[in-house]
Amino acid sequence: MNVMGIIFANDGEIGELTNKRTTASVPFGGRYRQVDFHLANLTAGGVRHIGIISRHNYQSLMHHIGSGEEWGLALEEGGLEFLTPYSMSTTDNYRGKLETLYSAMDFLEFGPENDYVILTGTAIQSNMDMKKLLDAHVASGKDITVVTKAGIANGKKQLDLAVKLDENGEIADMMVDYAAPEGYLASMDVFVMSKKWMIERVKQCVAHNLYHMDRDLVLGQWQKNEASVNIYQFSGVAMYNETIEEYFANSLALIDNDVYHNVFSGHHTIYTKVRDRVPSYYGEGCKIDNCVVSDGCMLDGEVKNSVLFRQVTVCEDAEIENCVIMNDSVIGEGAKLKNVILDKNVTVTPGAKLIGTKKNPIIIKRGETV
Amino acid sequence: MYFQKKRAIAMLLAGGQGSRLKVLTEKTAKPAVPFGGKYRIIDFPLSNCVNSGIDTVGILTQYQPLELNEYIGNGQPWGLNKTHSCAQVLPPYERHDKKSGWYKGTANAIYQNIDFIERFDPEYVVILSGDHIYKMDYDAMVEYHEKNNASCTIAVRTVPIEEASRFGILNTNPDNTIYEFEEKPKQPKSTNASMGIYVFNWKVLREALINDEEDPNSSNDFGKNIIPTLLNAGHKMMAYNFDGYWKDVGTIDSLWEANMELLGKNPEFDIRGDERSRIYARNNALPSSYIDKKAETVNCFIAEGSEVYGTVKHSIISVGCSIGKGALVEDSVVMPGVVVEPGAVVRHAILGENSKVCKNAVVGGAYGPEDKKKKISVTSKGAVVEANTVLLPGDML
Repeated sequence: MNVMGIIFANDGEIGELTNKRTTASVPFGGRYRQVDFHLANLTAGGVRHIGIISRHNYQSLMHHIGSGEEWGLALEEGGLEFLTPYSMSTTDNYRGKLETLYSAMDFLEFGPENDYVILTGTAIQSNMDMKKLLDAHVASGKDITVVTKAGIANGKKQLDLAVKLDENGEIADMMVDYAAPEGYLASMDVFVMSKKWMIERVKQCVAHNLYHMDRDLVLGQWQKNEASVNIYQFSGVAMYNETIEEYFANSLALIDNDVYHNVFSGHHTIYTKVRDRVPSYYGEGCKIDNCVVSDGCMLDGEVKNSVLFRQVTVCEDAEIENCVIMNDSVIGEGAKLKNVILDKNVTVTPGAKLIGTKKNPIIIKRGETV
Repeated sequence: MYFQKKRAIAMLLAGGQGSRLKVLTEKTAKPAVPFGGKYRIIDFPLSNCVNSGIDTVGILTQYQPLELNEYIGNGQPWGLNKTHSCAQVLPPYERHDKKSGWYKGTANAIYQNIDFIERFDPEYVVILSGDHIYKMDYDAMVEYHEKNNASCTIAVRTVPIEEASRFGILNTNPDNTIYEFEEKPKQPKSTNASMGIYVFNWKVLREALINDEEDPNSSNDFGKNIIPTLLNAGHKMMAYNFDGYWKDVGTIDSLWEANMELLGKNPEFDIRGDERSRIYARNNALPSSYIDKKAETVNCFIAEGSEVYGTVKHSIISVGCSIGKGALVEDSVVMPGVVVEPGAVVRHAILGENSKVCKNAVVGGAYGPEDKKKKISVTSKGAVVEANTVLLPGDML
C-alpha cells in the first residue's frame, strides 16, 4: 500500500509560543519540535512521501527540517515537500484546510502515485503506529477514518471535532467546535482517506464554497450520508497542546515515567535535527530532582519537576521548579523560577525572581533578558 | 567520475587491534571504542579533519571492522558525504599482482591505497591514527609544513623523561628541523615525542612508500622505516609543537583517566567548544535523559536517553543507560546501553557497551590497603554480572 502524508504546520496557536513560529516548530519534550512526532509517526508507518503545508512563519520550520535527511526523507522519489503559499501559486489567506488542500492540488494530483492519504495536524502529540491505523482504515471499508481519544472531552475544553458512539460502536453524534461533554471521543486531528476520494471531495467542497475540514468534509458529508466514517480509538498517550496551559501541563507530564516511555519510545523512537552537543554536566553542588534533561546543559543549581532543552545553563544557587526551559537559556546565580516557560536563548539575571502559576505560567520571549 | 584536486587529504590509520584495551577491543576495533558519553575515539580525528577544512578522509580498517564501518557509514554525521567530500573506508583487498593482502604495517596500509590518494592529486597527505583524544587544527600544521618547505612534518609534544622511551623521540635543531629520530629509545636524548601525526608532500611519500615496499627487510612502518629513511636521505623534516590536551587512550588506565578528565568545573580536557572545535558523532534517536526524584547526580556526565534512579558520582553515563533505584555508580565509565540494576554498586570500573550489572551485584571498588593503586574492573560488551555476585577490583568479565 502506497501512502502519502500531509502535515498541517500552522495548526492553531499556542499563545506567544507561535508568535514567530508555526505550531509544528514549537519546541516540545526537551529535544524535539512538535513536527518531529508527526514525522516519526508517518515515517515509522512506512510513509515516504510527505507534504508539509505551512502558511506563514515557516522559516524556523524549514530550518529545522531541511532536506528531511534526519527522518530518512531526502529521497529521489517522494520524500519531503514544503507546500508554502508561493509554491502553491497563491498567496491568499486560507479560510480552512480544504482550501489549502485545494491549492496543493498539483502536489496531490501530479506527485508519485499514492493509494491513501494520512492527514495530521501538529498540535496533538502522540507516538502512534500508523501502519496499524492504515490497516484498520482499509479493513473498515469506510470512506474516512477519524482518529479519536477518549477521556479528553470534559464539557469545558473546546474540541475541533468530537464524536459519540452508541453501544454498537456506531456513530451516534458528531459535533464541531464545541466543548463536548464527557463520554464524547475527541478527534486527534488525524484522518485517513483514499487519495482519489479526498481529491474528489475537496474539489466538490471548495466548489460549494465549503472550506472547513471538520465541519464540511467530515461532519457535513456524514450528515448527508455522503461519507461513511470509521472511528479509530487511539489507546496511547495523546497530548493536546492547544493552549499555553495545556502545553505547560503536558510538558511537565512528560516527567512521569510511564508517559515518558509511551511518548518517546512507545511504538518507535522520535528523530530530530542533530545538534551535536556534549552530554550534560552535573556539577558538584547541583540537585536535579524529577527532570527531563537534554544534552549540553551545565547544571550547578537546583532543578525540580522541570524540562530542560539543549544547552541550558543553571548557575549555582539558582532554584527552578515546574519550569520548561528551552535551548541555550542561562539562569543566573541565585535566580528563582517557578511555573515559568523560558523560550529559546533567554537570560535570567542573577538573583531574579519569576513566579507564575500552573494555570498561568510566566512566558519569557525568545532572546530576552530578565 | 570526476575528482576535485585537493590541497590536503587525510589518511586515518584505524586498523589496529588495541590489544592493551583487552576485553573492550575483543569485538571492536580501538577507534570504535566509546568515549565521553556519546562519542567514539575516531570522532576526534574525524571532527578535527572537518574543523580543519580537510574534507577527504581515507579510513584504513582491518581489525574487527564491522562496527567501525557501520559507525562511519557514509560520513554524514561529520558532513563528509557531500559532492566533493568523503569518508572512505579502505579495507585490505586482493590485487591482480598479489602486491596486496592484509596491511603488513602502517606504511604498507597507505602503500596499498596509493590509487585512492592519486585520485585527488593532493599536494599534502596528513597521516593520522585513531587512538588519541585531542582537538587539533591540522590546517595550521599543513600551513607550517608549507611555509617551511619541508618534505615531512611531525607533530610533537613534550613528555616526561621517564615516559619518553615509550614514544618515537625526535631530536631537533633550534629551528625545529629534525636531525634524528629514534623509535622507542632506551636512553632518550630529548622529550619531544612524536604524536603519530605526519604531514607529507605526497610526491615524496609516494616514492618512499614504493621504495619501502621493495625492501624485503622493512617492517613497512612509518616510525621504524619511512621516517628514518627519509631523514637519512637528507629530506627536510620539521617538528611541529603541539601543547594542547592529547591523550593516548591505548590502555584501560588511560582510557579511564581520559574519561575522568572531562569532568569538573574546569576540566582537564574541555570537550565543549565553539562552532569550529565541536566534536561530531553519529547520533542516536534517543529522548532527553530522565532523572528520577530519588536520583543523586554529582560531578558527572549524563548523556541523552539515559534514565537515572540511583546515585551517580564522578562518572560518565553514556547514551541509553539505566541506573536503577538505590544503585551506586562512582568513579566509573559507563558505556552506551548499560543497565545497572537496583541495589548494584559499581566503583572504579569501565562497563562495556550493553553490559548489565544485575541486582545487588558489586563491581570493583574495595581495594586492600596494600594496593597502592586502585585497579579498574572491566565488563566486556554485552557481559552480565549476575545478581548478588562480585566482580573484584581489576577483574575483567
